Amino acid sequence: MLRDVLLKTLRDQRRSYAAWCLSVVLLVAMYVALWPSIRDQPSMQDFLDQMPQALRNLLATSGADMSTPVGYIQVEFLSFMGPILVILYAVLAGSGAVAGEEDRRTLDLLLATPVARSRIVVDKAVAMVLGALGLTTLLGVALLLEGTFVGLDLPAGKVAAAMLHLALLGLVFGALSLLVGAATGRLALSRGVPAFVAVVAYVVNGLGGLVSWLEPFQKLSPFFQYAGHDPLHAGVSWLGVTVAVATVAVLVVGGALAFERRDVAS
Amino acid sequence: MGAAVIRCEDVTKRFGTTEALGGVDLVVEAGDVFGYLGPNGAGKTTTLRLVMGMIRPTSGRVEVFGLDAWRDRSAIHRRVGYISGDVALYDRLTGQDHVDFVGHLQGLGRPPEAGALAERLGLGLRRPARELSRGNRQKLALVLALMTRPELLVLDEPSSGLDPMVQREFHTLLAQHAARGGTVLLSSHVLSEVQRVATRIGVISRGRLVAVERLDDVRAKALHHVEVQFASPVAAGAFETIEGVRDVRIEGALLRCDAPQSSLDPLLKEVSRHEVVDLTCIEAELEETFMAYYTKAAADVA
Repeated sequence: MLRDVLLKTLRDQRRSYAAWCLSVVLLVAMYVALWPSIRDQPSMQDFLDQMPQALRNLLATSGADMSTPVGYIQVEFLSFMGPILVILYAVLAGSGAVAGEEDRRTLDLLLATPVARSRIVVDKAVAMVLGALGLTTLLGVALLLEGTFVGLDLPAGKVAAAMLHLALLGLVFGALSLLVGAATGRLALSRGVPAFVAVVAYVVNGLGGLVSWLEPFQKLSPFFQYAGHDPLHAGVSWLGVTVAVATVAVLVVGGALAFERRDVAS
Repeated sequence: MGAAVIRCEDVTKRFGTTEALGGVDLVVEAGDVFGYLGPNGAGKTTTLRLVMGMIRPTSGRVEVFGLDAWRDRSAIHRRVGYISGDVALYDRLTGQDHVDFVGHLQGLGRPPEAGALAERLGLGLRRPARELSRGNRQKLALVLALMTRPELLVLDEPSSGLDPMVQREFHTLLAQHAARGGTVLLSSHVLSEVQRVATRIGVISRGRLVAVERLDDVRAKALHHVEVQFASPVAAGAFETIEGVRDVRIEGALLRCDAPQSSLDPLLKEVSRHEVVDLTCIEAELEETFMAYYTKAAADVA
């Protein structure tokens, strides 16, 4: 497992990854366990209907019906908790890649070897991508399997589509974190910038349909690529996937180039 | 004269508006053990990181093996072992894990030398790095730098934290490396740490290279403390004008001064013009010679 930077990065993740997986399974179990009581409580839907439109837009894609399994997961899980979880994972992986090693000073060990700096960035990015895909895969499987216990039946194909979009959503911010870290070497900045951008993108997407001057920007939001087309109903949006993949690729290449050119002072 | 392994030509490095290094010209030849001396913050680490291609010179050129230190760093790093001034290791990885990882990144798989090296330094490779003492971390860094049998070693304060016994073993390793034709650039803030191994010495102060000397030449300049008791009071003037003589102090009939070997003859001739009661002449420690000499050079720069 110590043959190259990619394998070493995956190896480093082992312990924390086990914790991430466990928390995903438990979190899904919690939402699944709540399902029967929510389904039998029509007032929840009334509550949702009575919310101001702006709030409803922020919390869920419009027209979600909380009394159906798909609507419930969409509102309760995929609109907020799911993205937070995956974005958090990806940003931690992205910031740890270069800025984290620089912060702990271990970067010197890597930089003294013949391995090119761009290769280090790409290896770390691949590890992040694999990690995010693994986490969302587990998340999807957990939703499908744990859901069967309480009759929370979800269409497997659509869940897979939603998970793909969820992984890409996280990776966009993870790649941004990697870029900032590679370009500046500053750990706090590499976490703060993506967090800030994520909040802005979330709000822009949520309010884009209501606030006319925000509307042109809505389609730029990674949250729009993620859920604008309602993946639990519509499946994969190849346009959304293409935009997200291209964004990640551009950010990673940018990070690699910036890192090649930057002074790594002590 | 060997070929130039490291060549810095008029190298300046600024960080923002701070000039860390100004107009440094430096050549380290094959087989040299070059001791790079200066106080903390003088620019030693900056120079070493320029050589390692971790930072880019603001102006000037840094070459290693005739290649550009910044652009061709990957090719250079195949032939270099490096110890950072601030040794950091992966906390959870054991010594052997570090050896395997760095060995693979160097393209060598599992370097067979590592075990023997660790044994010579008295370092176990089984424990994770976070459990190692400062001295043992430094030893592991040495093993990682030396295990690939690089042509050039770039060592930033390598003996900090090593106890004297280990330091001796480390010096033997460096001497063997040089005997094989290898080159070393090592920094330190004290001469005594490098005088046993260095063939040449460079002194840096406030970003300027103020002196480069063969260690043998420094030794030839070794100061002697001279003390003469005359029969009657003498004047300082005649002694102060002798070339190389410094710190002339006269208290009545007692003369004290410092003189390098080369000034002893004219000094004694001047002394013998007077009636001498007693005379002592003691060679100073090399460190003292060096400091006297180097503080003067540094003052000239400022």
